[in-house]
Amino acid sequence: MSAILDIQSITKTFFGVPAVKEVSLRVAAGQIVGLIGQNGAGKSTLMNLIGGVVQADSGAMLFQGRPYAPRNPAEAYRAGIAFIHQELNLFTNLSIAENIFIDAFPARRLGPLRLVDRADVSRQTKALLAQVGLDLSPSLTIDRISPGERQLVEIARALHMDASLIILDEPTTSLTARETEKLFAIMRQLQAQGKALIYISHILNDVLALADSIAILRDGRLVTQEPASAFDVSRMIALMVGRSIDSLYPPRTAAPAATPLLEVQGLSAKGIVENIQFTLRQGEVLGLFGLMGSGRTELARMLFGMDSFEQGSIVIKGQRLTRHSPRESIRRHIAFVTENRREEGLLMNINIADNIALVALPEFARTTLQVLDQGRMMSAARSAAGVLQLKSGDITQQPARSLSGGNQQKVVIARWLLAEPSIFIMDEPTRGIDVGAKYEIYSIIDALAAQGSAILFISSELEELTGMCDRILVMSRGEIYGEFARSNFHAENILRAAFREEGVKPA
Amino acid sequence: MNARRWNPLQFVLNNSTLILFALVFIGFSLSSPRFFTVENVINFVKQASFTGIIAVGMTFVLLTAGIDLSVGSNMYLSAVVSGLLMRTMGLEVLPALLVALATGTLFGAINAFFIVNLRIIPFMVTLSTLVIGRGIGTALTESQQIDLPQRMATFGQGQLAGIPMPILLFALVVLVAYFILTRTPFGRQVYAVGNDVEAAKKAGINTDRVIFMVYLVSGFCAALAGFVLASQVIRVDRSFAEGREFDAIAASVLGGTSLFGGVGNVYGAMVGAVLIQMVQTGLQFNQVNLYLQPMVRAFIIFITVFFDSLRETTQARLKRRFIRPVENREASTPART
Amino acid sequence: MSVTTPSSSPPPPALSGLALAQPGAAGRPRLAFWRRLLLSDYFVLYLTVFLFVSAAIIFPRIGLAGTLGLPTNISNQFLNMWPLLAVALGQTFVLIIGGIDLSQGSVMAITSVIGAMVMSTTLDPAMFDKSPVWGSILTAEGGLLRASPELAVPLGVLAMLLVGAGIGFLNGFAITKFRIAPFMVTLVTMTFFSAFALWLTQSRNISGLPEEFLRLGTGDIISVYLGPKLEAQIARRDILPAIAYPTVIALGLALLAQVLLKNTVFGRQMFAIGTNRRAAQISGVPADRVVILVYMFSGFCAAVSSILYSARLGIGQPSLGNNLMLDIIGAAVIGGTSLFGGKGSIKGTLFGVAFFVLLLNMLNAARLSPFIIDAVKGGVILLAAFLDVARARLTSREQHA
Repeated sequence: MSAILDIQSITKTFFGVPAVKEVSLRVAAGQIVGLIGQNGAGKSTLMNLIGGVVQADSGAMLFQGRPYAPRNPAEAYRAGIAFIHQELNLFTNLSIAENIFIDAFPARRLGPLRLVDRADVSRQTKALLAQVGLDLSPSLTIDRISPGERQLVEIARALHMDASLIILDEPTTSLTARETEKLFAIMRQLQAQGKALIYISHILNDVLALADSIAILRDGRLVTQEPASAFDVSRMIALMVGRSIDSLYPPRTAAPAATPLLEVQGLSAKGIVENIQFTLRQGEVLGLFGLMGSGRTELARMLFGMDSFEQGSIVIKGQRLTRHSPRESIRRHIAFVTENRREEGLLMNINIADNIALVALPEFARTTLQVLDQGRMMSAARSAAGVLQLKSGDITQQPARSLSGGNQQKVVIARWLLAEPSIFIMDEPTRGIDVGAKYEIYSIIDALAAQGSAILFISSELEELTGMCDRILVMSRGEIYGEFARSNFHAENILRAAFREEGVKPA
Repeated sequence: MNARRWNPLQFVLNNSTLILFALVFIGFSLSSPRFFTVENVINFVKQASFTGIIAVGMTFVLLTAGIDLSVGSNMYLSAVVSGLLMRTMGLEVLPALLVALATGTLFGAINAFFIVNLRIIPFMVTLSTLVIGRGIGTALTESQQIDLPQRMATFGQGQLAGIPMPILLFALVVLVAYFILTRTPFGRQVYAVGNDVEAAKKAGINTDRVIFMVYLVSGFCAALAGFVLASQVIRVDRSFAEGREFDAIAASVLGGTSLFGGVGNVYGAMVGAVLIQMVQTGLQFNQVNLYLQPMVRAFIIFITVFFDSLRETTQARLKRRFIRPVENREASTPART
Repeated sequence: MSVTTPSSSPPPPALSGLALAQPGAAGRPRLAFWRRLLLSDYFVLYLTVFLFVSAAIIFPRIGLAGTLGLPTNISNQFLNMWPLLAVALGQTFVLIIGGIDLSQGSVMAITSVIGAMVMSTTLDPAMFDKSPVWGSILTAEGGLLRASPELAVPLGVLAMLLVGAGIGFLNGFAITKFRIAPFMVTLVTMTFFSAFALWLTQSRNISGLPEEFLRLGTGDIISVYLGPKLEAQIARRDILPAIAYPTVIALGLALLAQVLLKNTVFGRQMFAIGTNRRAAQISGVPADRVVILVYMFSGFCAAVSSILYSARLGIGQPSLGNNLMLDIIGAAVIGGTSLFGGKGSIKGTLFGVAFFVLLLNMLNAARLSPFIIDAVKGGVILLAAFLDVARARLTSREQHA
C-alpha cells in the first residue's frame, strides 16, 4: 500500500526544547492511524506541523507523493488536509451551510452582485449532513447546536473540501455516548471511501477498536508504529509511560504532618464537577491527575474563588469560607499558579520586579496614599528571585516575556512567595519548560512542603506526580475517580483509573 | 431541554429595541395627536434617511469589529467636492452624485489602506481622517458656505410613486445592503471575520480584502448620505454633518450591532436610525427645549446598551463549557470506598 | 507494508541546535542606531527639538529670527500647553488601563458652565432669561454664591472638580458594573453632558467671572522682562510670565500623576490591568475599583483643564472642549501611549503635548489656513500611530532574534 502522507524524520524545537524529534510516520489511504502518547509527548506539535500551524526545523513530508511543507493552515487546507481541533473552528454566528461553504460559496450573478446560490448550498449541505448522519436544517446557526453536532459539521466541511486526510484531535471529549458512536461509524465509512484518518485520543479502547495502525509518541520521539492487532491496552500504557528515570526528581526531604489546611467537602457544579471531597494537609504534596478535560483546572478555579459552584464547602484551617473571590483566597494565604502563564499569569511586557511584586503590592505601601516603599519592594523581589535562582538580567529593566519558560514560571511562583501563602494550588507548573528547569521547580515544591506549606499539584504528566507527591487523586469526567497513596503508586493503575478502565480498585 | 422554553425576560432582552420603538411611538402619539399622522411619519423617516444610510455603512464596519469615525467628515468632503463642481462647472445632479460617490469611496479606500496595509488601529486612523477630511473640505471652500443650485433642491424634493427621494434612496441602500450581507459570499465572510479573524484565515478567507471592502462600503454610504442631506438643506457649510458619526454608531448599536464584531444587521440599523429621528421629532412636537433633545437621545442609547450587556451576561451563563455531559450519559458511577 | 518502525531508519545527525543559530542580527550598526533612536523614551523630545531647529533653518522668516523664537511667542506656547497637558494626563491614565474616555470634552464644557454659574458676579438678563435656572441660580446680580463673594472662587473651583470626578465615577461605574464597552459609555456621557451644558445656558457664554479666578488662567507668579534696563517704566505687554498659575497647576497635576503612576500601589495595578486584566485579577488586584478611580481621575483632569481654559477665556463656555478629542488622544499617542493598554508615561505625554503645541504654532506662523493646519494635525497623529506600530514590530522582531 502506498502512503498518502509520509513523514520523514521531522524535528521541531521550541526555545531550545525539542517537542518533536526525528519522527517518521506513514499514513496510507483507507487507513485510520491512532496516535497516542502522554500530554507533552509531542502529539499536538506533530499535528500542528502537518496542519501548517508551525513549520519543521528539519525533516520532510510527502503528501500524495509530492513534497509538502505548508506555511500556514490555509495551505494545508487547500492541499486537502482537514484538521478537526479539540476546540472547533466554526463561526458561531453563521449557519451550518455557511460554515461549510464560507471560503467558496457557489454563486450566481445578479447584475453587479454575486449572490450565494442558497438553493444549491442548501442542497449540497443537506447531502453532506446526510453523509455524516445529521438530520439538521442547513440554516440552523452553530450556536444553537450541540458540541457533538458541531463536531460532525466540521467533518461535513472536510468532506465538502474533499480532504484526503482528516486529522481528529480528541474529538470525543465533549460528546455523549450516542454522539461518539455516530462519529465512529462515520469515520469507518470515510475509511471505506478511501480517506486516510489520524485519530488522536486518550481513550485507548476507542483507539484500539478504530485504528488499523497505532503510533505511540513519548518525549517527542516515535516509540513505535505497528498494526493495531499488535497491541492491547496494557501494552499501550506501558509504551506511553516508558521507563522511569529516578534522577529526574529531587528526593523529598520531609513527611507531611497531620494538620489539615484545606478541606473540600462535597463540591459540585452542574455539568462541571461532581461531589469533590478531599483534604490537603500541612507539608503535603497532593497530586491531582487527570486527562485533558477531566475538570482539573475547573476545580482549581473554584477552589481559588474564580468560578462559582452550587453545592459543598471549602474549609481553610478549620474556617469555612463564606465569600469566594481571588482576593479573599489571597487573604487566606492561598496561592494559585495558573496553567497558562501567558493568558493568566504574567504581565509579559512589564519588568520582572513589578511582576514579582504584584500580589504583595499592598504590603509595600506606606501611608494612606499607598505610596510604595520601592527600596523594600525591590529587595523583597530580589531576594525572592534569588531564593528561586532566577536567571535574568536586571529585574527592574527586563520584561517578563524575554525570559525562558522555566524562569517565567519562577517569576510567577516568586510573586506568590511574597504573599507568604500556606496553600499552593499549582496547575501544570512544569508545562512547556525544559527538563533542567523542571527539576528546579520540583525542588521548589519540595522546599515549600518542607517548610510547612501544602501543595495541590495538578498535572497531566503522571510521571512527575509519582515522582513528587505524597498522595495522588485521579480525576475523570469531573469526579474524583481514585486515590493512591505513595506506597501504592503504580503508573499503569493510575492511568487506568484516569481512563476509567474496568477492574481498577481505587484505594 | 429547558433552554427552548419561552422566557419573558429573555424575550424583552432580545427585542429591546423594537419594544422601545413601540413604546416611544405610542407615547408620542398619545401626548401629541398630530404626531400620529401619515404625513408626520413620512416626514421623520425622510429626516432619518441620511443617518440611516451612514448607519448601514457603519454596520458593515462594526460587524468586522472595526470603527469608522470619519463618516461625518466624509459626508462633508464629498458634498463639498460635488457642490463645487455643480456651482463652478454647472454639473448636472446625476454626474455630481457620481463625483460625490467616487470621492467618498476614495476616502474610504484611504482609511482602509492605513488600517489594512499599515496595520494602524481603525480608531486612530478614522479619528485622524475625521479632522483631515474636514480640514481639506474647509480649505477647498475657503471656509465659505456653498449654496447649491435649484436643481439640487428639485432632486431632494423629488418623488417616485409618491415616495420622497431621500426615503427611496434610504430604502434602496437598506435593501442592497441587506442582500449583500445576507446573500453574497462577501457578506457572509464579513460575519465570519467579525466572529473570529484567526478562524477566518484558517478557513481560507482573504480577511484583508474583506476588511478593506467594509471601509469602502462605509465611505460609499457616507458620500451618498452627504448628497441626500445636501439635497435637503441646499447648502454646504462648515458644520455640515459634523458629529454624525456618533449618530451612525448609535443607530447601528441601537439596532443590535455589537462593537465587538460578528453581530448585527442592517434592518436593525434602519430601525435605530428611525428611532433616533422619531425621538427628535416627538420632542419637537411636544415643544421640548432644543438643547434637551440630545440628552434624551443619550438616555435612550444608554438604555439600549444597558439591555444589551444584560443580555450578554445572561447568555454567557448559558454558554459555559460543560465537561460532563449534562444528559446522563451512562450508569457507571465511580467506585469509591 | 505500510508500517515502519523508527529503528529501521538511521537517526540523522542532530539538527535542532543549528536551527537556533540565526544569521547576523549584529553587524548592521547603522540600522542599530536608528532602531535605538526610534525605541528611545525620548524619541518625541528629540523630534520636538529637531522640528524646532529645522523650522528655524528652513524658514528663517518664521524661525528663530522671526516670531517663533521671540520670547513672547515662547511664553505664549507654554500658556497654550498647560490646559492641554492637564486633560491629556487623565486620558493617558485611561489609555494605560486599556480604556478610552470620549467624555472629557463634555466634562470640560459642563464644569466650565457650572463653575461660572457658581462664581459669576453679573449677568445680562436679556441673554439668560431663557435659561432653566434663571431666577434661581442665575440672576442679574450673578451666580449661586453672589451673596458671599469671598467663598465664590474656592467653592466654584471645588464644584468644578467634584463634578468632573463625579462624571468620571459614572463612567467607571457603568463600565465595571454593567460591563458596557468604555467607548459606548463615554459616548453617552459625552452626548449627555455637552447637551446639558448647552441647555443650562441656552448656548450662551457666562461672563462676569471674579478676578481671583481669572488669575488661575493667566496670572504670573514669576515674571521676566527681557528688554533694555534703561527705561523707568515697563509696558505690561513686555513683562512675560515665566512661571504662571497654569504652569504650577498643570505641572503639579503632572507631578501627582507621575507619583501615582510610578510610586504607588495604584499605579502598578493600573499597568497590570492594562497589560493583562485576568492575570491582575487572579493576583488580587481590585480591578473594578482601580478602573473606577482611573475614570474619576480622567474627569478630574478634564475639570482642571476646564478651570485653566475658563479662567484664561474669562467665561464659562458650554462649547468648551468641542473637537478637542483628537488633540487629547493625539498628544497621548504621540507621547508613546498605546490604545491597547499597558503602555504609557507622563513624561511621554508631556513631550507629546509640547510637540503638538509647537507644531501647531509653526503651522500658524507659516500663515497656513486653520483648516490646512487641521489636516496636517491629523496627518501627524496618523504618522505617530504608524510609528507606534513600527516600534512594536521592531521590538517583537528583536525578541525573535
